[in-house]
Amino acid sequence: MSTSLLRGFVYKRKSSVLHRLDPRTKAIILISAVALIFTSVKVSFLLLLLFVSMFLAYVGRVLREWLHSLKSVFLFSIFIFVMNYLTVYNDKLLYSLLMALRFILLTSFFSIFFLTTNPDDFAQALLKVGVPYEYTLTFTMAIRFVPTLARDIQLIIDSQRSRGLELEKGNIITKVKNYIPILIPLMILEIRRSIMIAEALEARAFGAVRKRTFYRELHLSRIDIIIMTCTLVTVALILLLKPQWF
Amino acid sequence: MNSVIYFRDVSFKYSNSEQFALKDINLNINKGEFVLITGPSGCGKSTLCRIINGLIPHFYGGTLTGEAIVLGYDVSRTPTYVLARYVGMVFQNPENQLFLSSVEKELAFGLENLSIPKPEIEKRVQEVAQLMNIETLLDKAPYELSGGQQQKVAIASVLVMYPKILVLDEPTSNLDPRSAMEIIDLIFRLNKKFGITVIIIEHRLELVLEKTTRLIFINKGRIIYDGDPRKILKKEDIDELEFYLPKSVKLYRDLKRIGIELPDVPLSPSELATVLRGELKRRRLLK
Ligand SMILES: Nc1ncnc2c1ncn2[C@@H]1O[C@H](COP(=O)(O)OP(=O)(O)O)[C@@H](O)[C@H]1O
Ligand SMILES: [Mg+2]
Repeated sequence: MSTSLLRGFVYKRKSSVLHRLDPRTKAIILISAVALIFTSVKVSFLLLLLFVSMFLAYVGRVLREWLHSLKSVFLFSIFIFVMNYLTVYNDKLLYSLLMALRFILLTSFFSIFFLTTNPDDFAQALLKVGVPYEYTLTFTMAIRFVPTLARDIQLIIDSQRSRGLELEKGNIITKVKNYIPILIPLMILEIRRSIMIAEALEARAFGAVRKRTFYRELHLSRIDIIIMTCTLVTVALILLLKPQWF
Repeated sequence: MNSVIYFRDVSFKYSNSEQFALKDINLNINKGEFVLITGPSGCGKSTLCRIINGLIPHFYGGTLTGEAIVLGYDVSRTPTYVLARYVGMVFQNPENQLFLSSVEKELAFGLENLSIPKPEIEKRVQEVAQLMNIETLLDKAPYELSGGQQQKVAIASVLVMYPKILVLDEPTSNLDPRSAMEIIDLIFRLNKKFGITVIIIEHRLELVLEKTTRLIFINKGRIIYDGDPRKILKKEDIDELEFYLPKSVKLYRDLKRIGIELPDVPLSPSELATVLRGELKRRRLLK
C-alpha cells in the first residue's frame, strides 16, 4: 500500500506545459487551491475544483498516476466521511461530504504538484526563497538515494532469507522482531555509504567558498508570471467577494 | 621541481585503531608518472590515497606523522577543498560519488563549489563531456547509467577542475572486463595527452601493468617494492606479489625456473608474443 501510494506522488519525467512551469508558479497554484479548498462551503464548488485538478492532470500528462493516487486514498476518504457523520450534529451530510471531498482534493493537488515537479527544480525553488544550499542539497540527495536504499533493503532481505530468515512468521511482536536482522545490517550499510558520500563531496571541493556559483538557475518565464498573476487575482476575488456559489 | 608528491617517513594510525594503517612511507612521485599501486586488502592503499587529497587528517581523525607534501602543499595544514582543485579523486563505487540528478549537474558541481563563473563552467562541462565521450548522457540521471558509464562520469566530474593529479582507488572493481579496459584506456590517454600524473590502485594487474612506468607493492602498511615493474618482476623472490601476477609474467617466471630465460619480462600477452618471436628468431628456430 505504501509503495503504491508513492506512485501517485513520485515525479514522472515528461514533457508538458505543467512540467515546464517554474515550481514557484506551481506552488502558487497549489497554495491557492488549498486556500479555496478550506474556505469553500459548497459541494458543487469543490466538485468544480476536482474537475479543475483533473484538467491539470490531463494537461500535465499524468492522468493515470493522478487517478492512482485518488484511488489509493479513496477508502480513507470514506472513513473520514463516516467518522464525521458519526460525530457531527448539525448538517451531518453536508459537513461530512465537505470534509471527505477536501481530503480528496488536497491529495489531488499535491499529487499533481509532485508528479510534475522535478525534485531538483523544487530544491532550486527552495534555494530561491532563501533556504540554505546545504539543506536543499540534502533534500536532492535524499530523493536521489531512494532507489539505492530500496535496492539495499531488497538485497539484505534476500540474503537473510537465504540464511533461513522467515519474515512473515508469527504474531505481530515476532514479526517486528523478525525485522531486526534486516535493520541492523541496513543501518551499518547506510552509515558506511554515507561516509563514502561525504568523502566524495569533500573531494569535489564542497564547502570551498562561501558563495558558490549556481550553474543552472530557475528563471520565471513570461508564462509563469501571467499564470501566477491570473491565479492570484482570481483567488483573491473569490475570497473577497464570496459569491453565492462559493 | 618535478616532484608532485613527496612523502618522508609518513605513518598514520586511525583514531579508533591500535595499529598503524601506514608505516614509514617514503615516496617521491614526479609529474606525468603513471603509478600502479597494489597489495592485499587492508594493506593501506586507500589510506595512502586519502592522505594525498587531505581526507586524512582532515576528514578521518588519527595521528599523521612525518612529512606529506602534495604540489607544494603540506597536507596536514591544507584542507581537502583546496587540494580537491588539484587532486582529482575517483573512488571504487561510482554510485556513491554521484549524488545529483543529472550528469550535467554532476560535472558542474565541483566548479560551482569553487565559485567558477558560469560561462567558464559551461565551457569546461562541454569540453570534458566531449573528451570522455559522454555528451549524449548529459541529461540522464546518473543512476540510470551502466557501471562503466557511471565511472566515466565520476572521472569527468573531477576532470572539469583540471586536476594535476588523478588518484583512482580501484576504479574498475565494480565493472565488467570490457568497461574496465575502456576506463583504463581512457585514463592512460589522459596521462599521455595532458601529462596528468596518475596514481591507480588495481588488483587486476593485467589491465594496467603494461602501461605503467612504476609499480608500488604495499603489504601491512609498508611499501615492499617500488620501481620499474620489469625490474621488480625479474627478481627471484617477490613475496606476496607472486599472487597478483598476470599470466604472461607467471609464464616468464616459470620458464626461468626451468632454465629458459627470456630477455625481457612480458607484461601482457601481446608483449609475450613479441618477446617469444624475438627469442625464437635469435635461436634460429624461426626466420
Ligand atoms: N575509517 C577507518 N577507521 C579505522 N580503521 C580503518 C579505517 N579505514 C581503514 N582502516 C584500517 O586501516 C587499514 C588499511 O585500510 P585501507 O587503507 O582501507 O586498505 P586497502 O585500501 O588497502 O584495502 C586496515 O587495517 C583497515 O582496517
Ligand atoms: Mg581500499
